[in-house]
Amino acid sequence: MNKYTVINPHSEFKVINTHIHNIDGMAKVTGRATYTFDVKLPNMLYGKILRSPHAHAKILKIDYSRAMELPGVIGVVTGKEDTLGIKQGIWRRYQDLCDEQVLPVDKVRYIGEPVAAVAAITEEIAEKALDYIDVDYEVLPGVFEPLDAIKKEAPEIHEGFERNINVTRHIEWGDVEEAFEEAEYIREDWFKCGGQAHMCMETRAAVSSYTPDGKLTIYHSNQSPYYMQGLMAGVLGMREGDIRVISTYVGGGFGGKFELDGAIFCSAVLSKKLFRPVKIVFTREEDFIATKRRTPMFYYVRTGVKKDGTFCAREAKVFTNGGAYTGMGATALYLTGFFHSFPYRWKGYRYDGYRVYTNTLPSTSMRGFGAPQAMFCSEQQIEWIAADLGLDPIDMRRKNSHHEGYEVPGQATIASCGIDQCYDEIRKWIKDKGKLPANRAIGISACGFMSGGIFNWFDTPYSFSSAVVTINQDGTVELFVGAQEIGQGSNTTLAIICAEALGVRVEDIKVHSGDTDYCPPDLGAWGSRQTLMAGNAVKMAAEDAKKQLLEFAYAQSGYNIVYDMDIKDRWVHAIARPERGYDFGELVKKAIRGKDGQKIVGRGYYTPHRKGMISPAYSYMLQGVEVEVDEETGKIKLVDSMTAHDCGQPINHLGLIGQLEGAFSMAAGYGYLEYMPYEDGKLMNPNLVDYKMIRATEMPPANIAEIDTYEPEGPYGAKEAGEGLTNPTAAAIGNALFHRFGIQMKENPIRPEMILNALKEKKEKEQGKKGKK
Amino acid sequence: MNFKCPVCKKEWNSSLQVARHMFGTGDKPHKAWVDEQGKTQGFTFIDLMIEQATTPGNKSYVMLAEVIEKAQDKL
Repeated sequence: MNKYTVINPHSEFKVINTHIHNIDGMAKVTGRATYTFDVKLPNMLYGKILRSPHAHAKILKIDYSRAMELPGVIGVVTGKEDTLGIKQGIWRRYQDLCDEQVLPVDKVRYIGEPVAAVAAITEEIAEKALDYIDVDYEVLPGVFEPLDAIKKEAPEIHEGFERNINVTRHIEWGDVEEAFEEAEYIREDWFKCGGQAHMCMETRAAVSSYTPDGKLTIYHSNQSPYYMQGLMAGVLGMREGDIRVISTYVGGGFGGKFELDGAIFCSAVLSKKLFRPVKIVFTREEDFIATKRRTPMFYYVRTGVKKDGTFCAREAKVFTNGGAYTGMGATALYLTGFFHSFPYRWKGYRYDGYRVYTNTLPSTSMRGFGAPQAMFCSEQQIEWIAADLGLDPIDMRRKNSHHEGYEVPGQATIASCGIDQCYDEIRKWIKDKGKLPANRAIGISACGFMSGGIFNWFDTPYSFSSAVVTINQDGTVELFVGAQEIGQGSNTTLAIICAEALGVRVEDIKVHSGDTDYCPPDLGAWGSRQTLMAGNAVKMAAEDAKKQLLEFAYAQSGYNIVYDMDIKDRWVHAIARPERGYDFGELVKKAIRGKDGQKIVGRGYYTPHRKGMISPAYSYMLQGVEVEVDEETGKIKLVDSMTAHDCGQPINHLGLIGQLEGAFSMAAGYGYLEYMPYEDGKLMNPNLVDYKMIRATEMPPANIAEIDTYEPEGPYGAKEAGEGLTNPTAAAIGNALFHRFGIQMKENPIRPEMILNALKEKKEKEQGKKGKK
Repeated sequence: MNFKCPVCKKEWNSSLQVARHMFGTGDKPHKAWVDEQGKTQGFTFIDLMIEQATTPGNKSYVMLAEVIEKAQDKL
């Protein structure tokens, strides 16, 4: 049974800080929610994509004449014949990083890359037609690991990128050399962090419909309809306004669905060519081999501390396996360097990150955005340092932690930080556990995370988030947001913020999202930006609408002295005389009449200014896991867990619990189960049988102590919740193994054979020592 | 004393920071300048970067910083 406790609860609110079920829950559980898979349009065709069997090859010729002879095949598209051959990417300001043609014209760079697409009257015929497309390749030598790809003799994957170095990122503050000189103990380690598949319940899917008037409507499973609209306009040579992207229900994203994928691009190109709607739904295997993954990383970490545990300096050098294209991986490269310093104060800190092209699946953003890798290395090394120095690891962490008002030099100012209380809660949990059985141990890990990034990589003139609130004559409220609901519950969170700000109830709010024709632009669901950024825009829009209503209420009231007025729970009233007031619906009706029939419309927008380099606000957390290990098999079992968590003011406790449990499950998978082995660029386990995810029965209790702080930049004091908890778990598992056996796990996922090998190695060392004696 | 970037003329109070800026920017003009200096001294931009990436310490940056210091008079 999970325990959920709230430390420092606030009670000043009517709607927020309560337990509210997702507003779209009923539609989902009754099967009424329409996902892209469910979309059927008249005269619709079905598309399939032919994929490269080679990791690196030139495309010499594509002959699809045999495929066209197959009854039921309507058309085939190739990069050379049917696209503009435009290279695209999310970093529109940096053209060098826009390096991907979704249907390549001349060269393929990974196994599974799209080569051609076919549309037919049934999915089966389209699938069969792929066998009738003949492609001549000139196979080129491939390179699959970053440390090989930077060698002088390595094949060139993209022209002009010497030694295949795609992006470099450097972060530094303080005098690092001087700070290392102050250190009395220095430790250095190399780590290897694996990739991870996003594993959304809904695989990539799109239905595109191009009409003769030059308009394109696309139903698509994504994290940012606005990005899709902009990117598609760029690659198709269309105006953004002529493309409508609809993504109402999305079955998960986790960072993998805000770049162009083969489904959206190929269905649109086929539809443009054939003037018929075309639907493409990826199989689970396609989702594995042809969409992007969490970035694998090689990490070198050197840390200097004083004997009393005071942190002095840290240096990290990181090589990431970027795969074939840049995508969002450039941002992961920066963020892993930034979060590697978290949540501690370093006098000197230096990070050098190198993203390297390889002939493997491109790597990109994924829940945690570079931070899970950073924390796996950092939090284990810190534990080992504490043991080397004979210090208590919690005390040592606490002594060096961020605090309210701390400035990460040149990078960020921490306006709210509840990590101190997190240490208390975890300490209490460990103490309550008492003596553990011999095969069990507890490991802990700390971390912090951003509440949305201050990165305008999309180079847009629009605000980061925007919202429009319209009040109808019956008192119901329409909330239009560009923020994308992807299953994380953002529509519910935003409805709660709107209801609180406007003084109505959640059931009064109808949220409209995921449609570029009707919703204002927003950068989308990534980097934990929805609650803080979209939340601020919604709060502002609701307050704008409320102000218009209250102006009318003032005029109506006829009070002979000035009263401040407010709206709570559909009651418009004088604050000092709450019994005097008006029913919300009645007042709205009068106000609309008074405005000559115009609806009340409030607008809000949010773009962070002067909030540092990374994010306007940071969440903090500390996690403990109790791990059981079978020494015979090396198999890990998670027995229990505790998370002490600071997300500022919680908006919806149910949503928060769901997000934290989901993050923990994904993070546990990253820590010890989810493994992506490649052989010569080919993924060896692209299915749900061989790719092991944590199952419901393997989930331990996910206990939570929520430490409520107040974040001045967040709406009602709220900040990130849910993504950050993907970061500490892998290290916590590693730390538990260290405490149980004294073994140091420098690679993840921590697989049984690694544990057995480490135990064997340790035994041999010990026997060697005994022998010498 | 401030040190100027020999390419874009931005200034810092340490030549090491200028070196870091040159690696961090890494665009064609910055690369070309480093490669030009390396012709006589036997290094390239990418060699220095990989040296920096694969060995502990800050050797490449220090080496480039010295080159930058020497070039200040000509800027």
